Amino acid sequence: MGSAMGSQTMGLGSVDATARINRGSWGESLFRSACFGAATFLLVALGGIMLALFVGGWPAFHKFGFGFFFSTAWDVNNDVYGAAVPIFGTIASALISLMIALPLAIGVAVFLTEFCPRVLAQPISTVIDLLAGIPSIVYGMWGFFVFAPLIANHIQLPLESAFDPDSFWGKFFAGVPNGNLLIASVVLAIMILPYMSSVFRELMLSVPASVREAAYGLGCTTFEVVRSVMLPYIRRGMIGGTMLGLGRALGETMAVTFVIGNAHNFPSSLFDATSTIASTIANEFAEASGMRAAALIAMGLVLFLITFVVLAIARLLLRSQKF
Amino acid sequence: MNRALRRRLANYIFVGACLLATGLAVLSLTSLFISLFWNGFSGLNMLTLTKDSGLIAAQDPNGPQLGGLYDGIVGSLVMSILAMVAALFIGIFAGTWLAEYAGESHTGNIIRFLNDVLLSAPSILVGLAVYTYIFIVMTWHNTPQYTYSGLAGAAALAILALPVIVRTTEDMLLLQPAQLREAGVALGASRGLVIRQIIWRAARTGLLTGGLLAFARISGETAPLLFTAFGNGQSIALRHFISGIADKTSALPLLINSLYQSPLTVNFAWTAALLISLAVLAVNILGRFLARGSRHS
Amino acid sequence: MTMNEPLSSASSCDDEPQYMAPPPEENIVLRARKLNFYYGTSQALHEVDLPVEKNKVTALIGPSGCGKSTLLRALNQIYALYPKQRAEGEIIFDGQDVLGGKVRVDSLRERVGMVFQKPTPFPMSIYDNVAFGVRLYHKKSKAQMDELVETSLKRAALWDEVKDKLNALGTGLSGGQQQRLCVARGIAVEPEVLLLDEPASALDPISTAKLEETLTQLKKDITIVIVTHNLQQAARLSDYTGFMFLGKMIEFGPTGALFSTPKSQRTRDYVTGRFG
Repeated sequence: MGSAMGSQTMGLGSVDATARINRGSWGESLFRSACFGAATFLLVALGGIMLALFVGGWPAFHKFGFGFFFSTAWDVNNDVYGAAVPIFGTIASALISLMIALPLAIGVAVFLTEFCPRVLAQPISTVIDLLAGIPSIVYGMWGFFVFAPLIANHIQLPLESAFDPDSFWGKFFAGVPNGNLLIASVVLAIMILPYMSSVFRELMLSVPASVREAAYGLGCTTFEVVRSVMLPYIRRGMIGGTMLGLGRALGETMAVTFVIGNAHNFPSSLFDATSTIASTIANEFAEASGMRAAALIAMGLVLFLITFVVLAIARLLLRSQKF
Repeated sequence: MNRALRRRLANYIFVGACLLATGLAVLSLTSLFISLFWNGFSGLNMLTLTKDSGLIAAQDPNGPQLGGLYDGIVGSLVMSILAMVAALFIGIFAGTWLAEYAGESHTGNIIRFLNDVLLSAPSILVGLAVYTYIFIVMTWHNTPQYTYSGLAGAAALAILALPVIVRTTEDMLLLQPAQLREAGVALGASRGLVIRQIIWRAARTGLLTGGLLAFARISGETAPLLFTAFGNGQSIALRHFISGIADKTSALPLLINSLYQSPLTVNFAWTAALLISLAVLAVNILGRFLARGSRHS
Repeated sequence: MTMNEPLSSASSCDDEPQYMAPPPEENIVLRARKLNFYYGTSQALHEVDLPVEKNKVTALIGPSGCGKSTLLRALNQIYALYPKQRAEGEIIFDGQDVLGGKVRVDSLRERVGMVFQKPTPFPMSIYDNVAFGVRLYHKKSKAQMDELVETSLKRAALWDEVKDKLNALGTGLSGGQQQRLCVARGIAVEPEVLLLDEPASALDPISTAKLEETLTQLKKDITIVIVTHNLQQAARLSDYTGFMFLGKMIEFGPTGALFSTPKSQRTRDYVTGRFG
């Protein structure tokens, strides 16, 4: 009540008028600082992760120098480690999975936006969206128990025995049946497919109807509309979405660990076992100490930097189209 | 071959390829679901839901399987909820700053980018980093027995949930009409008061959706828990909650990772996988349902 | 200031603002003087003068984009939410220059309320909507607050429609009811001036009639400034009318005179429906 009378008699409260409780301004700056503090926590968290990986991996960088990146050694007895195989495995499995997932994702997105009856398009895309959330370890189990035996028994082993082991095809199909680069790549592809196709679908839906109709109006077939109008229209966004998919494939751990075979050697064929950075860390870190642990953390930093670069490129390309 | 025919043929091939792609995608994902239910459904019983995994009699192929997944269920729930509390607290404030105060400023854009980086950082590295810090502190403090704990697991999960919440908070607050802010400010309310009492309230369904999506994301994560929560055959006893959470803690994904390796326990792994998938799906569907409802109003 | 001089002197040749029978000086409660307004680098108001007489209704009319909403938004500083918008000149309220930087913005807004084009009910109950503004300034007992909410809703002619559902969400009301709720919320803090920015533009004719009735009731003890697209509405409701065009005040005067015998050709064209 006092403040009510104050406002009647004091006229407009000026800065130095004290009759009114100065509510707000102190709490206001406190609230704003709290918000800003929380925002800077993101910086702290990210910086903290990088610092931890750098500090933890420093002994390995220090001891092995640049050779760490090019050495294929992984000798626990002599404490000598190199990151070349996992780095190669990480990039190879991610790229192969992208080669599989990209055409499939475009196909699914085109099907859902161009051919599929409206009644079905929404439920199908919802289901695909939901699948993007299934935990990766479940994909890993499925790959290990269902998909890998299927490929091994019905494709790889029959083909391997059908050719002379020394011939080109014999070498091509030779390998480890239950865990290898190809199976890991396919499982990765299935994992990133829902994500990529829903990004592509959103992009295709963003193409103005008038543009599509104009192309159809000229007598273009669906293929020509998609190839000549839609894809060029959303090209930047598509590259961005693909890079995000690549980022996921690079950092994926559990699904790959189940099915890549976890061998410390360059794969001699698509069907040979190898390892990725994430799978090596997941497999060995718990029992590692000293230089071995440092080498694993150092590889973690490498993985972080690779995904960082990929993401930065993706964001640059997606800046105009928000995802 | 004339031109028209060639064009039509190319189109048929293209349409066929798209159909094939969708078919392949649907087929593999159906296969995943069938195998989940086929292998995991039979294990869904009271024993599985109420007994600890440490009691699974792995050595005895014919004996009664006395164990279950109880410790994993409790551990996953406890760590996910703790992580969500922390991430919601920090994330909503951070998202509010981005939406209400940062605008297009340089700092705002940098924080947005950092959030995106965190959003797609490999989850195993988050676990690795948390481990490294705790290892350093515990070694220095001479208490290495506390290197692995449910708290560490929750911290790693919180860092994974945080960027999701920041992103959805910012998006949801920006969806609120500027007129709502103006109306609050026109009454003389301060900016912060308008945000807390009007904008947050108007956006609450969206914020809840963001929280649910983040919860779905972290509750199935395995990699960040490998070197933090580590796993434990025993459930956290709610009576000794503090000491339980300060010790190695079990989680459903961690149980999958250990139980799948022996043919005698693999069925438990399938059941755990089914459980976690169903839980994640349910939370995701709930989130989408809420999001759809709020868009209409 | 110096930058604007060429502009104003150039404009004075053809468009010297016409002020007919302005309100008596001692009755003016709020006045804008030589107000310039900028959105970033583009100027939206040029040297605008607006005298607002106590307990009268002042209407602002003009074609879209003429600056009438901008002028209204300057009067209670709502533009200050946006860093790139700024005002120069004077806005004098209760003897003090609001733009001088010495006036606390929340005290200004307590006494100069605003209702917007689209209804803006807050996501809370009808009761809390009305009480929201009051709680910012006064600590009231439950009984006092109940009474204040009731009087405000009655003055906004909404009480009979909502008295049985005060705890229902304000967002659940119809558009017309929402707008009257916003009026009730605005008058609950007992402002001296109420600014209304095209309050009826999103409403159907029946709701518009009700809102106008409300405003007619209110003007007994509240000064009203209303921006409207609807010339009949301005003629029906207001005592004074200002006609604006391209960010300038073209003509200002008693409503009857401005509509029947406008001095400026532009005003005549507009009120007779020849443009705009």
